[in-house]
Formats: sequence, structure tokens, C-alpha cells
Amino acid sequence: MDPQAILGLGSKLLDIDEERFRQVVGLLEQIGDHPEVQKTFSLIRPRLVEVRPKRRPTFKRLFCEPFEDLFEVPNGNQPAPLNRIDRAVVNSLWPLVESTIGKDRLRGVAGALRDGAARAEPAAAFWSMSAAAVADILAQLDLGRYVDELGLRVNPDRLRTIQDIAQILAIAPAVDEMKAVLAPKPVQKLHKDHLEGVQAAGRTVARGRPETLKLFILLAAARLSDPSILLGGLWDMDFGQKASERAALFLDLSGTVVARIEERSRGAAATPGSTTDRMAAADLAVDLMASLEATRSAMEYSRNKEFDQRLKAVRESVHDMVRTQVLDGADGEILTAVATLTTGGGEDTGKMVMAENQARALRKCSTIADTLGLRGELKSVTQKATASLTDTARQVLVDGNGDARTGYTAIRMIELISGPAEASQVMDQILRTGRR
Amino acid sequence: MRSLTNFAPSTFEERGAAVGFTTPVLAQTRVRKDDREQLEVLVPNLSEGRGVYVVPWKGLPLAFPMTVHDRMLQELIHRGEGCSPDDIRKAVLEAARCGLAGPLAVEAAEAALRDDDEQRLLINFQLIVEVLKAAGLESTEILRAGLGSEEGQRLTRSYMVKAAQSLSIEPTELYSRVAELAVFMEPVGIGTSPKPARLRRLMRDLLHFRDSMTEWSVDNVSESAPIGSFCAEVAEHTLNHVRNVVTQLDQSVAAFETLLRQWDTKRATVRRSTTRLSWLLDGWDFIVNTWAAAQEKSRHEQDMTVHELFRVLPLLPKDEERADHALQADRVLAANRRTVRAYVDWRSGQLDMDLVMRIEAIKGKAA
Repeated sequence: MDPQAILGLGSKLLDIDEERFRQVVGLLEQIGDHPEVQKTFSLIRPRLVEVRPKRRPTFKRLFCEPFEDLFEVPNGNQPAPLNRIDRAVVNSLWPLVESTIGKDRLRGVAGALRDGAARAEPAAAFWSMSAAAVADILAQLDLGRYVDELGLRVNPDRLRTIQDIAQILAIAPAVDEMKAVLAPKPVQKLHKDHLEGVQAAGRTVARGRPETLKLFILLAAARLSDPSILLGGLWDMDFGQKASERAALFLDLSGTVVARIEERSRGAAATPGSTTDRMAAADLAVDLMASLEATRSAMEYSRNKEFDQRLKAVRESVHDMVRTQVLDGADGEILTAVATLTTGGGEDTGKMVMAENQARALRKCSTIADTLGLRGELKSVTQKATASLTDTARQVLVDGNGDARTGYTAIRMIELISGPAEASQVMDQILRTGRR
Repeated sequence: MRSLTNFAPSTFEERGAAVGFTTPVLAQTRVRKDDREQLEVLVPNLSEGRGVYVVPWKGLPLAFPMTVHDRMLQELIHRGEGCSPDDIRKAVLEAARCGLAGPLAVEAAEAALRDDDEQRLLINFQLIVEVLKAAGLESTEILRAGLGSEEGQRLTRSYMVKAAQSLSIEPTELYSRVAELAVFMEPVGIGTSPKPARLRRLMRDLLHFRDSMTEWSVDNVSESAPIGSFCAEVAEHTLNHVRNVVTQLDQSVAAFETLLRQWDTKRATVRRSTTRLSWLLDGWDFIVNTWAAAQEKSRHEQDMTVHELFRVLPLLPKDEERADHALQADRVLAANRRTVRAYVDWRSGQLDMDLVMRIEAIKGKAA
């Protein structure tokens, strides 16, 4: 099939049914390593991650396997890895690695492309050959120079990527072992068997190539829903290092995690006012605080003042985000939406959905308000809103002023802001006084 | 508490009707009447444990923290006369219309009620056309005048009198038979209807669900695959029964003259069939819509959804099906143990409002 024709399908491939999607992926694979095909694969990458169609085993795929978790997936729901590997660099690097190894030697490890236990030995041999080939290529690279064979200029990021690839390939069997333990990805919570598995594979790495231990840990972190989860468990893991090496590794990884949290909080702060979705802001704030807490409790061991300062700055930016994007004016907007129903100004479902999200956002932030020092402010907003809503519900359902739906909507808002217990209490009072 | 196998109901009435609660632990739990005609609710797999808890209806708010919507729904069901799927649906729509499950649920409930009204009008008209056809009369004049218009109604009356004479039935008796049949057939509609009625639409959706779930289970290596496969199997068995009932009903309506003439004997059969159909499809709307919503989610979320669906799967009662679904379900459960996932926030024991929101979103589509 003409690759141009497939590329022409464009984003349609994201919408077709799963069976047909698998068929198209199969067709694209048959065409091989054509630039247009690669472009199409980049386009459909989020769906490939989602559907995970059975891909034809190739040496390139096997080459990427140890570090594939560090590829950034263009999907907002996925946590970004702490140490990213640029897919374009890998695409340029592989043909060079393939020719350095040579077809004859590759044929010798063809068993690595099979499934099952028999694959382990040839796969390890392949990764070892690949690590040596990348190291050879790396030795010939000069920073800032354009490399014809790669079709790329070697900038610091690209150089770092190739160095990381070489190091990861050198410890690929241990990475493979760790991936089997931390599956399926993303792991939400680390259990004892996870920690023991990572520790056992990590010891092998620390014994053979101690300089790659940080990369190994970053790879493990990339398989978690939140990389900061690993920090908590890391201090208790014994990789057989000296105490000073262990502390240095912990600090190094902590630095990377903190930098990522800072990046996310900066992203949130960069769009103040523009975020009308208060629920999204609340979700992000709760998420950031969870990462912050996990990092801070892990940091108890290291007592590093610099990190304390940086974490404090992140906390302040989350504080500002919650105050400006969740609390400010929330009660007014909720009450106006309910009042729109009262005055019969059109039951705009969209507006009501938005008001409900504001109410939910307030409730969501109640779990982090204490830590952020916003308890008083949140309490004042929720109390004001709840009192007005209770009045509205009473006026409508007891005194009969207005449409019953407005009264029930007010009770629902109380439920979303303060929980079912408080809303039920209001409802019971109304029931006792004679509901309409 | 009784295990799933021990519980295994023999009849639909014993299985109970699914209630569209929004409290996660109570979502789609079943309500039925006990020996003393008192309502009781069956709560399956509490905290992922095996078995079914039987809780007296009145004690429900004491046993579980409920949303305000659910307290209102509980009261409406308590005040209502029965607990058949139709009675429960009426209460669910009324509760949703209040606004206690959110604006989308209000919209969906109002749309459902509008659809009911349309179907009522449509089935009445279609049955009148069938009466005239059985009596060898044409309905084009009525159509031209419009059934809702005064002229149309006058024409209908006169044609129905003629039809009654031709069928040798008293006109009032003919009217009463058609009206009664319309009430029975309203949720099912007739096969030739341009707009399929609610239960026929649900039957079609159930067919899609079975196909989609079967496809999902094949090539899936997760532990949810056998559970999904079991869900598809139960859907298939249910569909077989539904097809039989619908075919019988369609055949009865096709022989319309016989149906009208032998109404005294046929009445019970039609009624039994339509009631059975609503019991057979009871609870599937939530499952079908939940699965449809999960199509846009990640594989992990789909796995979780399959577990949730399994919890509320409407297993066919023993008397309805040769295969013992309760026993099979127990086996599937035993072979696929997993970690505890409570439906409350474990830190505070409060309701998981995110889960409530998801159930309300389904309600916005399923009402």
C-alpha cells in the first residue's frame, strides 16, 4: 500500500474501531521503516499506548524495550517520565546501531524476537551488543558537530539521551526484571513485593554498574502513576551501597522529583484567571499536594534545606492557585446559578453543571486546605454558601416561594459542598416542617 | 449474609428489581418484598466480600451513608404501591426530575418521560390502525385529519364503532381492550413501529453490549477478561429469552383479530409476556450505558468497570434458565480474587463523591 495513502487517513485512525485500527497498524508495519509511516505512528501514538495492538517483533523494538518507559507519550493523562528520551534521536540512532552490529551477528540472536523463556538469553546478548555499539558511536560524537550518519547536530540534550541509552542497554536484563515486577503500568501503589523486586534488580545493577543506578531508579519511577511514590520506599531499599552513596543517590533523585513538581506547579500558575474549570484546578492542586507530601515525608531522612525551600515555594504556588482559581468568588457563582432557576431565567444546564463543579471543587480542596493554611478562608466561603442555600431551600420548600426544583437544587449544592450528612440534616428539617 | 450461590433466586420477584441509587455501594442494588410484604434491599459484594446482604428497607440509611437523592428515591419507592421494574422506574424518574442527581439527570428524566408520552400516543394510534385493518377499514382519512385534532378524533370514534360491529364486539368493550393492550405494549411497542419503544431499544443496546464485551474479552490477558466473558455470556442468555418473548408478542399482534376476539384468554398471556420482558431487561440499561462510557477510558479503567458490572449483573433466576448463573458467577469470583476496593473514602468513611459523580453521569444517559 502507498504510505502516502495511509498518512492521508491522518487523525481518522484515532476514531476508527479497534479491530480496523489493529489491521491498519499491521499494514503500516508491513511497509516498514518509511518516514511517512513513522509520521503516522507518531500521530497515532496515544492510541497505540491505549490499544496496545500486538506489534510485529523487530530488533528496533527490542532495542527500545529497556528505555521505552522514558519516551514521552503525547497524552495529558499520563505522568511524564522524570528523564525523557527523545524518540527522534532513537529513530536516527537505530540504523547506525544496526549497521555497527552487522546483519550476521543480528541473525545469531534472532531467537530474541521469539516469545517465552527461550528469548532471555539471546535478548541479553542483543542488548549487550547494542550497548557496545552505542558506546562506540558515542565515542565518535563531538558536542555541537553535525553528524551526517545521524542526520542530527549533537546538542547537550541529544548527547545526554545517547549516553542514557548506552547505560540503560548495559543493564537491560536487570531493567527487564524490574519491569516484570512493576507491571502493569502505571502502578498506583507500591507493595512489599514491588519493593523487594526493585531492590533485587537494583542490587544487580549496583554491583555491576553502580553509575547506572540512578537511571535504573528513574526507569522504575517511570512505571509509577506518580514518580514521587518511589521516593518514600527508596530510603528503605538496600542496594548494597555505602551510606554516603545512598544519601547522594537519594538527594539526586529527590532533586529530579522536586524539579518535576516545580514544573507542574509553574504550568498551573502560568494560566491564572484563564482556568474557568475550577474542578480541574482543584484536581491539580490535590494531586500536587499528594506529590509534595510524599516527597516531603521522604525528605525527612535527608534534611536538606535547599529542597525544603523549593518545596515551600511549590506549596505557596499551590496555595495561590487554590485561592484564586477555586475559592475566589465561588460562593457567588454557585448562588447565582441557583438563583437563575428561582427567577425562571432559563434552566441553563451548562451553567448548572459549571456551578456543580465549583461546589465539588470546594469540597475537594477541603482535604488540602489545612496543609495549605486555607482552612479559615475555605470555611468562610462554604459557610456563607451553605447558609444562603439553606435559606433558599427553606423559602421554596417550606414557604412555597418558587419552583420546587430550585429548593432541591439548593439542597444538592449543599451536599456537593459540605457532604450528604449536612444536606440530609437540612432535608430532614424541611421534612419535619412540612415539605411541598 | 448469604453467598451468591446460596442466594441464587428462583424467580424474578425473588431476585428483586434494580434501583438506580447514586450511592456507590447501593448502585443497582435490588429491592423486593419479604414474606410480610415489607420491602427489603439486597446489597451484593459489600467491600468486595462474597455474598449478599439483605437489609430491611427502612434500615437502609442507618446501614449506609446515602446521598440526598437516594433518600428521596427511597421514600418515593416506599410510598409507591409496588416494586416491579416499572414501579421502580417511575420512582427513579420522579426523583431525578427533582434535581437531586444533577441537571443532566433532570434532562434525561424529562426526555424519558416525553418519550413515554410519545410512545403512548404512537401505540394507541398504531393499535387503532390495526383494529381498522382487522375490520377491513382504511385509516388514511384519520391520518389526513390528524389523530390529535377534533375531526380526527370524531373520525376515529366513528370508524371504531364500525370496526366493533364488524368484529362483533361492543364498541366500549373494543375501546377498553385496545386501551388495556396499549398500556401493556407501551414499553415494548409493536414490531413495525417507525420509532422502536424503550425495551426494544434496550434489547438492541444489549446486543451491542454482548458483541462489544465479547470482542474486549478476546485477546485480553488481564484478570478481568474471564469476568467480561461471563458478562457477555449472561447477556447472550438474556437476549435469547428476550427474543423468544418479543417474537411471541409480535406474533400475537400480527394475529390482531384473534387477539381482540379472544382477549379474555390472550390478555393474561400478553400481560405475562410484557411483564416478563421488563424483568428480563431490568438492570441492563445501567450496565449497557456504563460500558459505553468506559469505551473512551483507559484499559485499566475498563478492567475496573468490568468488575463493577459483574457486581450488579442481572443473573437469570433458576426457574428461567437451565444454566445455573449464580453458581457460575461464584466460580468466576473465586477464580478472580482481587484486592479490597471499598466504596467509601477509607480515610474518612465518607462517600466517594467522584464515584457518585460517575454514577450520576450514567444516570444522565440511562434514564
